[in-house]
Order: sequence, then C-alpha cells, then structure tokens
Amino acid sequence: MNQTRSLEARRASWILASPLLIFFAALLVLPIYLGLRTSLSRDRFSNPEVELSGIENYVALLGDPDFWESIRFTLTFAIIATSLQLVLGFLLALIFDRNVPGKKYLFSAVLIPIMIAPSLMAVMYRLLLNENIGIVPAFFGLFNIEVTLFSPNALFPLLILLDCIQFVPFTFLLFYASLQNVPDELYEAASIDGSSYAETVRRIVIPLLKPAIVVVILLRFLEGIRNFDVIYILTGGGPGTMTQTVGIYIYKTAFSQGDFGLAAAASVVLVLLLAPFTPWIIKRLSTSEQQ
Amino acid sequence: MKSKRIIATAAMAATAAMMMAGCATEATEVAETSQVPQAEMTKISMVLWPGPEGEAMQKIVDSYNAKQGLIDGVEVEQVLLSRADTFSKQATLMRSESDEYDIYFTASYLIAQHAPYLTPMQNFDASIYMKSSVESLQVDGDQFGVPLDTSLHFMYYRNDLVATLSEPANATKYSAIAQEVLGKALSPNLETSTWNWDDALATAAFFTQKYNPESPTKYGYALPAKNLLFNTMIWNDILWGLGGNWLDSSGKPDISSDAGIQAIEIYSTIYEKGLTSPDSAQWEYAETNAALTSGNAMMALQWNAAYSELSTTGETAGKIAIAPPPGSGPRTHVHALAVAQNKFSANPEASQKWLSYLATEEAMAIYAANGGVPSMPGILSGMVSTNASFANLIEYANEIGYSRPKVAREFDIYSSLAEELSPAWIGLMSASEAAAAADEAMTGLLD
Repeated sequence: MNQTRSLEARRASWILASPLLIFFAALLVLPIYLGLRTSLSRDRFSNPEVELSGIENYVALLGDPDFWESIRFTLTFAIIATSLQLVLGFLLALIFDRNVPGKKYLFSAVLIPIMIAPSLMAVMYRLLLNENIGIVPAFFGLFNIEVTLFSPNALFPLLILLDCIQFVPFTFLLFYASLQNVPDELYEAASIDGSSYAETVRRIVIPLLKPAIVVVILLRFLEGIRNFDVIYILTGGGPGTMTQTVGIYIYKTAFSQGDFGLAAAASVVLVLLLAPFTPWIIKRLSTSEQQ
Repeated sequence: MKSKRIIATAAMAATAAMMMAGCATEATEVAETSQVPQAEMTKISMVLWPGPEGEAMQKIVDSYNAKQGLIDGVEVEQVLLSRADTFSKQATLMRSESDEYDIYFTASYLIAQHAPYLTPMQNFDASIYMKSSVESLQVDGDQFGVPLDTSLHFMYYRNDLVATLSEPANATKYSAIAQEVLGKALSPNLETSTWNWDDALATAAFFTQKYNPESPTKYGYALPAKNLLFNTMIWNDILWGLGGNWLDSSGKPDISSDAGIQAIEIYSTIYEKGLTSPDSAQWEYAETNAALTSGNAMMALQWNAAYSELSTTGETAGKIAIAPPPGSGPRTHVHALAVAQNKFSANPEASQKWLSYLATEEAMAIYAANGGVPSMPGILSGMVSTNASFANLIEYANEIGYSRPKVAREFDIYSSLAEELSPAWIGLMSASEAAAAADEAMTGLLD
C-alpha cells in the first residue's frame, strides 16, 4: 500500500514538474545542444553544406590572438566597471539613506538611466558627445574647454564612465533596498557607544550588506562580461580590436566573417572560463545569508 | 446597468456595420480593377532596411498593391529591419533555409555570399541599368537581384573657401603651410577635378586652424576612420587612385604594395597632423556629415547619398561642391543595393512577378521621385534639376568607377581590412605592420 502511494506520489511530482521541465529543455538544454553541435561543425555562411569537424574550431580559436585579446579587454572592463559601480552605488545609497532635501525627485531622476535600453543609450551618447553637434562638448566649449571624448586615449575611460552612468543606479537600488532592512536601533546603539558614522558603516553596515554586495558583484560582473550594445555602437570594437569585447568578437565572427562554427566555439569557451566562478559565488552568497 | 448594455450593443452593431461597409467599398474597388479574385491573391513579404531606401520602396509597394498587383494576383508587404543589422538577421534566416521572407535585401559586396540562398533573375533587361551596377550583382554569369540604389563616393568641399585660395596672400600662406605639413612648397590648385592627394592634404592643412588660425573651419578634413567596413570602402578609393589593388596579378593579397602603404599613410597624415578631429577615430557617415554641416570641417571623401543633406543644411547649404576622389584612373568604389528572391520562398512565381515589376522604369521612376537613387541613367539624368549630384553620379560610375576583385568573401574582406587597418589610419600602428596584417587576414579569407 505504502509502495503504491510512493509510486503515485513520484508520478504526480513528475507530472506537476513536467511543464517546468519541458520549458527548461526547450529554452536551455536544446539551445546548449545546438550550440555545442555547431561548435563542432564547419558551419560557414558562404557554404550551405554543414559538416562535422571535430575540435577544429576550438583549435583555431585557442590559437587566435584576437580572441584572447578580447577576453583580456572584457575582463579588465568588467572588473574596473564592477568595482566602480559597487563603490559609487554604495555611496549613493548611503546618501539617500539619510534625509536628503528633494529625495523623492532625486530618487526618480537617479533611476532614469537603468530604464533606458543600452543600445538606445549608445545612440544618445553618439549624439550628446559628438564634437560637432553634441551638447556635452558644446557645454565645455562655453568655458573654452576643448574635449575630444572619442580620441583613442580617452576611449577606455569614456566607455567605463558611460557604463557607470547607466548601471550605478542599479547597484544603488540594490544597496538602498538592503539599507532599509538595517534597524535604526543598530545606528542608535553604535552612536551611544561613541562610534562615528564612518565606523558604523565600516563595522556594522557593510557586514550586514554582504549578501547584497555579493549579488551586486555577481550581477554586474556577469553583465560586464556580456557587454556588447554600447561599445559596439560607439566603437565597433575599434580602433582595430582595441575595445573589442568577447561579445563583439563572437558577433563579428558569426556575422562579419560568416563563421558560425567558430563563433559557437568561442561562446562555449567563454562559458567554460566563467563556469568555475559560479559555484564559488553561490557558496559565498549562501554563506552570507546564513550569517 | 441595462442602459449600459444597450449602449454597448448598439456601439458594437454600429462598429460592425461600419467595418462591413468598409469591406464592401474595398471589395467593389477590387472587383472593378482586378483580374485576379481576392481569394487567389498571393501575399509575399520583402525585407529592406529603414531610411530613404525603405521609404521610397514603400511608395512602389503601395502603387503596385493598388494597381499592377491586382492584375498579377500578388500583394507585397515590406518589412523594415534595423539599418545596422539587417544583414545579420538575414544571415540567420538564410542559413536556416527560412521561408519567412520571399524577397531579401542584398548588395554588391554581399552578393557572392548570398547567392547560394537566392534564385537568379529571369527575363531581366540589363540595358536600362548602369552597366557597373548590373555587373556587380552577377555571380558565375547569373544575375541575382534587381539593382536599386547605386552608391559611390564624391570629394565634397566648400567651394566658397577653395575660391579664396586664388588670393595672392593666401597662395603664399598656402605654400608655407604645405611646406610645414607635407615638406613640400606647393601652390594652390583651384582645379579640384585634377587634385592629387598632395593638393587635397595641402588644402586641408590650409583650412585647419592649427596651421592657419584665420581659417573659418577648425579642421580641413573630416576623416571617417572608425573600424567599419563602409569606411574601408572609402579608404579603397585612395588605394585604387594610387594604382593599388587588393590583389596582385597572381591573385595574392597586395595591401603591402607601395600604393597600399602610401594610402594608409595619407590617412595617418590627416589624423596625426591634426587636419581632422581626434574624435574622427570613431567617425562614420553621420559624424562626417555633422563635421561638414556644422562648419567645423572643410572637405571629406563621402558617399553620394550625403549630397541632399550637405547641399541644404547648415554651413554647407549652397556652398558644397563635388570633385572626383583625388588620384588617377578608376578610383571610386561603386556598389548597388538590390533585392533578390529567396531560394526557399514558398511563393516563387509571385516573387518573380513582383521583381519583374520592380525592374521596370515605371517602378524606378516612383523610387527616384521619393528619394531613391535608382541605377537607371535614363531616370537619373531626367532628375538632375532636382538633385545636381545625379549628373556626377552617372559620370563617375561610368568613367572612374573601379571593379573590385571577384572574391566570394568580399564582405568579410572589407570587415577584416577595417579591423587591421583602422589602428594605422590613426597612427596607433605603422603602415607596414598594418598592411602585413591585412594581407595575412585576406589570405585566410581567399582560401
């Protein structure tokens, strides 16, 4: 009797889980399988015949200095952008956590950039920062300051700055939400004990915000790795490959060179390079939650 | 409550009556003009990109659907994808042998790659088109697609400023500036159609405030130097104008030739000597136009499509003139945009009917009247009064348009050249290093 019940329960659980499993298979397992199969094929736009080619694409990819250069640029960009967004978002959240005049309106204003699609932001930047018709160079021109924001020397800091303009509001929002959970009593107790505001933030607030910090690092770093829209629209990855992210490398390999097999192999290698970090981040996250 | 229901029912009845009346009117019109019953009409879809081409094409589509389409039994729907990534989206559709669209958008520089996924044209009258445009859409002797716009390059310059070079004081200053920038004491050449690149660079230097603080323009030149395949097409004009080519006589990559190195150095001179803005490292079509119309730059090698804007906007309105790209021999890139039938179309007969109509002077006259630049000299010459650049377009396409080597991966080569050469264009790499890298990249793409 018990065995029958257990069997029925198991069957029921499979039936109940089936919509999710089908969804999972269709949207995750199948694309991964197709991506892997493409990466093992000679699949070129110029030739409609597709043949299996073993690890040929992986060998070509690992020997391509442009691929490694794009990985190096992507990691550098993601680390610097994530670090800045972490610090700036946290500082902004601390400011808004106190009673700032006009907080309600400022809060809405600060959040505007994350509501705009990155590709649209990029098009806006092209107009706003254009030396000849842009409002930003025109503003500096009022003070006889000449700015050439797209010159090769200014390009990397500019791209970091633009990424921060769009995503500091996101990190700010996460930190601000977490700060609302810090009880006022803790601040009061710290104050009674003679702790300064800076010490309170360092010794009490930051430890309490560890889960949020890990989430911010995880989300922004992964987003940084996937960065494509703004850089592609503003620089196309150039001059040369100077600002080529791995996303741009994959896109160009597929759609400029028409080599879908190599592009798929690059995607697989990127996933494999990032995969080891994921368990570590999840572990840190769960440890922080337990604390 | 009851009254609300009555009002709602009455409104629905009225709406239904209006819709039925509308259908009845439409049906009456169809019955009057069509030779094909509505039920037997075939609907086909065609991809184009947004912008002047898409807008002009929509007028032809509307006209066709209202008249000839009713006789052919074909209704055309135009789908405008993104200007930047139409070809990427199409690549995935072609690769998956999709029949989502019956007609694809293509271009001379893509036709060899698209050909395996397209059906050749039948009964195509090439005689009414520019020869260079028709030939640029042929692969292995087959005609793939109906040519639409023909694109090439002009050297645009401010004629009001170049005219001032005839003043003796300016001629002396010009010579001194040429000596400083190019190491040669040159005299102004007012005959812009005979310019070589020394003339162009010396004139650009003269109208750069760094060398001539009295220059009305900050920079003499607007250089589109972004890593972009369309910018490579412009740079190619210099290469060809100096007698260079992508390949040598044995079919090997030849960017490292003297002409190739010199062509790269002309760009790097413009950039490093400050004849263009430092920002031009990321410029393309729109930024180049902005530099000219804002009055910040004096000249640029730019697409013929820019004429409408340059001749009517900002500081260049009424002051812009056209010259051939400096150099000698065939030296302006020419390509044609086109539409062609998807090999996997579910409606091949209807698609051919539409394409046949599109290849008529009647259709292209509508296209030209609405902002298109059709590849039909007969139509363009009749419209010179509305767009003076059409005369130059016909002349340059016939006389100085160059023919690119017929290679299957032409599009990839353009992209690759942009990637390898763009650092050298702005002095981040030596010309010889970049040329060698370009040759190596091309070798891989010619295999």
